[in-house]
Amino acid sequence: MTMTLPTLASRRLPLAMASEQRATLRRLPLAREFDQRLADAGLAPMRPTRIEVMQVNVGKVCNQTCRHCHVDAGPDRREVMSRETMQLCLDALAKSDIGTVDVTGGAPEMNPHFRWFVREVRALGRHVMNRCNLTILETPSHRDLPAFFAEHSVEVVCSLPHYLGARTDRQRGDGVYETSIRALKRLNALGYGSGVAGRRLVLVANPVGAFTISDQGVMEAEFRKALGERHGVVFDQLFCLTNMPISRYLEWLVESKNLARYMETLANAFNPAAAAGAMCRNTVSVGWDGALYDCDFNQMLDMPVAQGAPRHVRDFDLAALSARAIETDRHCFGCTAGEGSSCGGATA
Amino acid sequence: MAAYFDDEDLAHFGELEKHHPELWSLWIKYYGKAFEEGLLTKREKILIGFAVALCEKCPYCIHSYTTQAQSIGLTMEHLAEAGHATASLRAGITMAHALVAHNIDKKTGM
Repeated sequence: MTMTLPTLASRRLPLAMASEQRATLRRLPLAREFDQRLADAGLAPMRPTRIEVMQVNVGKVCNQTCRHCHVDAGPDRREVMSRETMQLCLDALAKSDIGTVDVTGGAPEMNPHFRWFVREVRALGRHVMNRCNLTILETPSHRDLPAFFAEHSVEVVCSLPHYLGARTDRQRGDGVYETSIRALKRLNALGYGSGVAGRRLVLVANPVGAFTISDQGVMEAEFRKALGERHGVVFDQLFCLTNMPISRYLEWLVESKNLARYMETLANAFNPAAAAGAMCRNTVSVGWDGALYDCDFNQMLDMPVAQGAPRHVRDFDLAALSARAIETDRHCFGCTAGEGSSCGGATA
Repeated sequence: MAAYFDDEDLAHFGELEKHHPELWSLWIKYYGKAFEEGLLTKREKILIGFAVALCEKCPYCIHSYTTQAQSIGLTMEHLAEAGHATASLRAGITMAHALVAHNIDKKTGM
């Protein structure tokens, strides 16, 4: 039986606070700080290249409580983006040339205004990526979502840590793998994952433990073979993500006594090419309350965009945001290790 | 008492270079080249490394190749299969050596 713990917030643990998470990372001995590494690579201060993606976190409510979740999402969370804030996102999009809206959560589909928001973004002619945990598609009130995604040409980016069931369930909860495979088969039945335009299906794998993935290409081949042979499941691409040492994954690292070595591994694997391609350079992140961040991780660590840049989506100004310096801290080593890690997979 | 095998040692492996830089460099080049992807995939070479590490009972190499296996998505289920393949071959090799005894007995026995 695989048990997942309730959210940090519901357990009222010190690590539920962003300040305590950052302090925990700061207490570790590291040879070089992240900003020093950036400076060595000629990348300090980090600035956007071109903002092409608006990542909108529509809330922290989720039907799962995964062991590695950087959002501390779960069924008990109450933070949900209102329709008014979504409208502000749409207004910001309308006055910019941002081509992609990356909808995330929690389980974004649990936001009551999710479908309305997707329709409106598509009406603006922008591409929609939806970050889906797969199991939500098998719940009674969301079973029709695959058809909705297909109707609106939504790219579906799905979490599946591993092609082996026991591994996936260990991280995401008992029965998650089997349910996820059922959902993938229904997406496949609608043409998702077979290279058809408007039916793009991406899987997102992340390590089930305190290690990193060294080769996204090798992993993709492994996934393709195993899921094809075992389940007849197809997909278009696999993204490999490094687990970010914050929130519930940080709790696990501390409890399992893996934190110091994991951070040392990430820091030692700093790759200037991965840093140059980091997602914070082409993305702006919107929180459930409309606050603006450099990325979803900074959002969870209560690190808003730099002073002087617009800090709420109602004040959205693409030029001002494009000129800002990106806020960094030790957790950023998670995005710059080895091949790099981002919401779009490897960056180097 | 100091431990002969410490998992902190691996990080200092490169310090061995100072005792004979030329031979060290030749070996590093050979090792690096031999483990590059060629007709065999990266996955196959990592599993060969793991099997040799088990046979040679080298804790450093077992650590290193387990980590490398994890980094390409291989799990303990994969490594257990590799371990059993390695162990069964070792058992077979032991039995094959019994042929020496068998042959001696054939020659010298009545």
